[in-house]
Amino acid sequence: MFLSNLVQKAQQLIDPATLPGPLANLTTPSSRPSKAQLFRHQFRLPDTQNPLYEITAELTLPESKSPRRFHTSQGQTKSWDKSNWDRGPGIHYVGQLHLSEQFLCFSTVHSSFVSTASTSASSAYTGRTNGTGPAGNGFTLPLCAVRRVERLHTPSHEFALSITTWNGYEPRSDSKPDASPAPPKLIVQLEGSRQQCDRFCDGLKKGLRQGIREVEGMRTVTADCYSEYFLATDFDRPAADSTIEKEKEPPDTGLGSIFRYPGNSRKLRDRSKMRLWHEYLRENGRNCTLVRQPDFHRLVRVGLPNLLRGEMWELTSGGFYLRLQKPKQYQETLAKFEGEGSLAIDEIEKDLNRSLPEYAGFQSEEGIGRLRRVLTAYSWTNPEVGYCQAMNIVVAALLIYVSEKQAFYLLSTLCDRLLPGYYSQTMYGTLLDQRVFESLVEKTMPIIWDHLQKNDVQLSVVSLPWFLSLYINSMPLIFAFRVLDVFFLEGPKVLFQVGLAILRVNGEELLDATDDGTFISVLKSYFARLGESAHPKSENPKHRAITNFQALMVVAFKEFDGITQHTISEQRSKHKAAVMENIESFAKRTSIRNLGPESKKLSQNDLGFLYDRFYAVLYERSQRAQILQVEAERKAKASRAARGPDEIVAAAPEMGRVALGGAANGTAMEYDAFREFLAGVAKWAVTDSPSSPVRGGDEAEKQRGNGGYFGSVRSRSLPSTINPWGSGPEPADHDFMQRLFAKWDSDHMGALTLQNVVYGFAAVKGNRDIMSSISYFFSLYSDSDGDGGKVDREGILRISEALLFLSRRGVPGGPPPSPVVNGEGEAKVQSKDEQFLGAVSAFIRRCFEYADPDHAANQAASGVSLLDVSDDNDGDDDASSKPASEDSILARPSTNTFGQTSASRHVSANAALDPGSPVHITLPTFRMLVLADETLEAFFDSGFANSFNLVDAPVPSSTITSSSPFLGGNAFSGGGFSGSSGVSAAQPAISPGGAGAGVVGPGKGLRGMLDNIVTDGMRVAAEVRRRMDEAQKELDRGGGGGVGGEEDEGEEHAGDLLEGAEAMESRSAKSVEGVIEPVAGSASASVLEEARDGKGSTMFER
Amino acid sequence: MTDSAAPAAPKPSSSVKLVLLGEAAVGKSSLVLRFVNNEFQPNKEPTIGAAFLTQKCQLPNRTIKFEIWDTAGQERFASLAPMYYRNAQAALVVYDVTKASSITKAKHWVAELQRQASPGIVIAFVGNKVDLCDDDAPEGEAAEGGEAEGEEDATVRKVSFKEAKAYAEEENLLFFETSAKTGHNVSEVFTAIANAIPETSLKTSRGAATGAGTQAAISAGQDGSKVNLNARGGDKPQEGCAC
Repeated sequence: MFLSNLVQKAQQLIDPATLPGPLANLTTPSSRPSKAQLFRHQFRLPDTQNPLYEITAELTLPESKSPRRFHTSQGQTKSWDKSNWDRGPGIHYVGQLHLSEQFLCFSTVHSSFVSTASTSASSAYTGRTNGTGPAGNGFTLPLCAVRRVERLHTPSHEFALSITTWNGYEPRSDSKPDASPAPPKLIVQLEGSRQQCDRFCDGLKKGLRQGIREVEGMRTVTADCYSEYFLATDFDRPAADSTIEKEKEPPDTGLGSIFRYPGNSRKLRDRSKMRLWHEYLRENGRNCTLVRQPDFHRLVRVGLPNLLRGEMWELTSGGFYLRLQKPKQYQETLAKFEGEGSLAIDEIEKDLNRSLPEYAGFQSEEGIGRLRRVLTAYSWTNPEVGYCQAMNIVVAALLIYVSEKQAFYLLSTLCDRLLPGYYSQTMYGTLLDQRVFESLVEKTMPIIWDHLQKNDVQLSVVSLPWFLSLYINSMPLIFAFRVLDVFFLEGPKVLFQVGLAILRVNGEELLDATDDGTFISVLKSYFARLGESAHPKSENPKHRAITNFQALMVVAFKEFDGITQHTISEQRSKHKAAVMENIESFAKRTSIRNLGPESKKLSQNDLGFLYDRFYAVLYERSQRAQILQVEAERKAKASRAARGPDEIVAAAPEMGRVALGGAANGTAMEYDAFREFLAGVAKWAVTDSPSSPVRGGDEAEKQRGNGGYFGSVRSRSLPSTINPWGSGPEPADHDFMQRLFAKWDSDHMGALTLQNVVYGFAAVKGNRDIMSSISYFFSLYSDSDGDGGKVDREGILRISEALLFLSRRGVPGGPPPSPVVNGEGEAKVQSKDEQFLGAVSAFIRRCFEYADPDHAANQAASGVSLLDVSDDNDGDDDASSKPASEDSILARPSTNTFGQTSASRHVSANAALDPGSPVHITLPTFRMLVLADETLEAFFDSGFANSFNLVDAPVPSSTITSSSPFLGGNAFSGGGFSGSSGVSAAQPAISPGGAGAGVVGPGKGLRGMLDNIVTDGMRVAAEVRRRMDEAQKELDRGGGGGVGGEEDEGEEHAGDLLEGAEAMESRSAKSVEGVIEPVAGSASASVLEEARDGKGSTMFER
Repeated sequence: MTDSAAPAAPKPSSSVKLVLLGEAAVGKSSLVLRFVNNEFQPNKEPTIGAAFLTQKCQLPNRTIKFEIWDTAGQERFASLAPMYYRNAQAALVVYDVTKASSITKAKHWVAELQRQASPGIVIAFVGNKVDLCDDDAPEGEAAEGGEAEGEEDATVRKVSFKEAKAYAEEENLLFFETSAKTGHNVSEVFTAIANAIPETSLKTSRGAATGAGTQAAISAGQDGSKVNLNARGGDKPQEGCAC
């Protein structure tokens, strides 16, 4: 799978050995989340927190003053407690104490997040907690909430700290000691070597010092917590305090405080719950400083009271810590984007009036306004998610209990952390969890599962809304909130446990259902009966009092106790690949289908290929950009323990994948990406002079073979120089490509969408008739669209250049090479490329012959009749027998200045080239000229279209760049296109007499020759012109008698031709293309010499 | 509720799985709610995933029990759709006549169904919310007569009858303009679908107990206007189902 492949590559890139300690562990190879992530999930901390130190410790709390019994040894804490059982008065918990930048956390759930703690432990670490959330006993203490830490001097406690928090230290409370809650003192005894303890304490000291600055911020944040207000009073005498209470408005506890909370508070025993919470919070701290003991979990499970529900959701989900960190984010986001519109906002508006419409609060402007603001603010902070239906329902439900600010942070926590990918563009998280749920059903209730299978009932059609809207629109609200209470504390596993329990409880009835319809109605009616007694006929009134919902919770948390966060994570990673693939194939299908009518000109396979290639290029480019950036960052601050890179690496595979909705951002291809794209589908689009180091062809081949496009991120061998083009061939940059890009960019966006690309290909490949192909090509150069356009002199030259550019690695699909009998009588095959070269030179010549003067003046200038010319050309030998290099038609891609130089140099050579008498050709002329030459005709008939390879895998063009000894070579390959043309394409095969490729082998000497030729080029230009004139005279003389004598002359040429070939090769090796002009044989010798002159750029003239 | 003609003798009954697709807030759920409960809620909660409802449709010679899958319309839910249209014998693709973008989306759905859903699926193309167009008094008649009222576009209406009708004919779809709010044409849509379901496919469907023998060679939505006429008649059996 390319995901893991990529991660691995990226990780290799960031060499762990070079990284400082804390970062090293973050790049450990795994498909699992990093430890830092697990740590944050475990304690619900913001993404800025990293595990710095951890140490085994024992927490001692003062004995509860209330008569309630505490179970100090539960579950996994039991074994830990054993040895410490009798130590001093109070309640003891043994667990792990963690320190991050801003938090001190303790949990009895054994977990290790710091790699330095113990190597063996970390490698054996199974990710057991996997972000279970604060399920264990303990605390999550922002360092700014710590008031004092004292080292205790007790002989038995070798290293014990007493932590005093800010709880209860409001100035006002001092005057009323009775009303103020006792500040809980936490005694933490560290268990470890002296050194470990010291290190931990040093870290703690440092953190505490920094925390001082945040105290004020914390106070404003906690002021929004109801507990602050709640504990300031004596629960049983609120009336007596009324005078004081009047001073202070109670914090916003959601729409419920205005529009009533759902359910009957009497029946929900809200008041007695409040009393218990009052007691608990007084003893164990509130909001920031809350210590979780078993009673806490129990109190959550029986259902939170209305007024504290919001605060507890916020605390247990971690939304509170997010708010603590960015207290102003909500208002700032709203202010920043005020008045702006977006697609998400349109979608939100559609749903505002239909979110819990039956609740009074959402029939009011107040409620709707809050809902709008929360959803909008979130859509701005996370535009990738934006807005997804179901979020409206979830947020509406939250808003009943929390203020809009709190709801914003809760929603962020939900979407980003607790329900990853649920509401994303592709909803992959939802689909994945449905798969996970199905597999859990299969595992835990095989009978029901078999029944579903047998009757072809798709479980997820029932269960998907449960997960997506957290049971809020499936169960009656009051029960859905109870599920939420536990969900926020214990994490996503709760959704699975409840879902499984629902099926279990209804198992018998479900086994009678044989279709989706019955299945759904069984569950619908069950949900409607959740409030009814589970045992209505029981004798025992206590049993009768148990509701269906209570029974459900018991099943969920007792029977499905074994479903842990670890189970879920395991199952998720197991099914992830398949789910992603489904989504991607769906997205591909949909996207291809929606491409529009033009796309029908291409086959489905071609479209599929284009789609893959298009996104692969975009994807890989974004990956490369990212890795380059990381690399740069790493270099920049190699010494710093930056946490950037690991984040990016961890997120990298998630980025561009279509299934994850990330592709929604970058769906257009700018010119460079387009070049890269073309290089993968057309051989001619691969550069002749790659700038980056070339690796062995085998390796590149292998990578393309198994890793596909995605396997090509740089390997470790070259960590510092990442090829900007990945492992793919470096694309050329040619005028033709720019024109193609501009043409395809029909919306003038400066970038191509998939649709642009497909339409472009449809135009190139979809029209199988030669006329439209010619017109299309012409239109790339024409000054106006349609048939009325003209191509001026410059354009003609550029067309010729383009033709040579396109054919320099062989022309696919031309006519079969014609056998030529040379002097020795052996049949030789003339290569297509030679034909092509000849054809192009003839084309140029004729262009100027038939060009129309812009000012209809010297019409009569065109001298030779078409018939003559075509006769000339039809002779196979003729086409190549005079490889006169009149010009360097094909300049190197980057230095493509041919037009200008040639024009300036040869203005005097021909009237047609005289800028004083501008000329142009029109489409009919162009068409005529193309059709006059069978090679060009074939090129436009099929060759051009076929030069784009779609359905087949991308041409193995990497071999061209890598295996060719002279990379600049744009020699025409001798029949090189057939099959794996990489090597043969590189062979110089320009040998007009069909003399074969081997005249000058692909040797090293060529490079040296090139340089000479280039430097000579300018010097000999004048000479060329002189020669050219001679040649012209010869041509004029011999042109008439051409056809007849040519075959006879073949022998005569042979010797000279070899010479010519040599020169041709050399030049072609430098990407300077010579144009062979078909002229009468007698003239060949002199022209051939010109050919050797390399850069001499004489125009054809007549 | 759809047809008044209900013979005393028990008719063969069969289930038809029908799926609703279309852009968000075009009124899919409202159409279903109108059809199933004959009611209309102005602020219908958006469908999460999909909703499931059933309703019977009485035809002269048989009873069709629609198992209706009403799907969520938001774009990102599209990837869930295959789950719902799997095995569907009929589909109602809905757009909003007052929203031009919605017909584009609807056409995409038609294409998706034609390619991915069960072969022979009966597709009805439905433009909802005609009640919002003031011009719609004559719309019903115009629709029935297969005539377009094309010049209404001045205000609310964004998708002309003519355009949609032409598309539906080209793609061989049943076509209606409806209003879930007023109930206009709603039951007609479902009746037309019921009529257009080939009996052959009913025999294989769950709980199908059709009168054997007759080959109802009606291709799905073979002729929009013809079905439309039959639907209006209500009790006129489609040719081929008559026996």
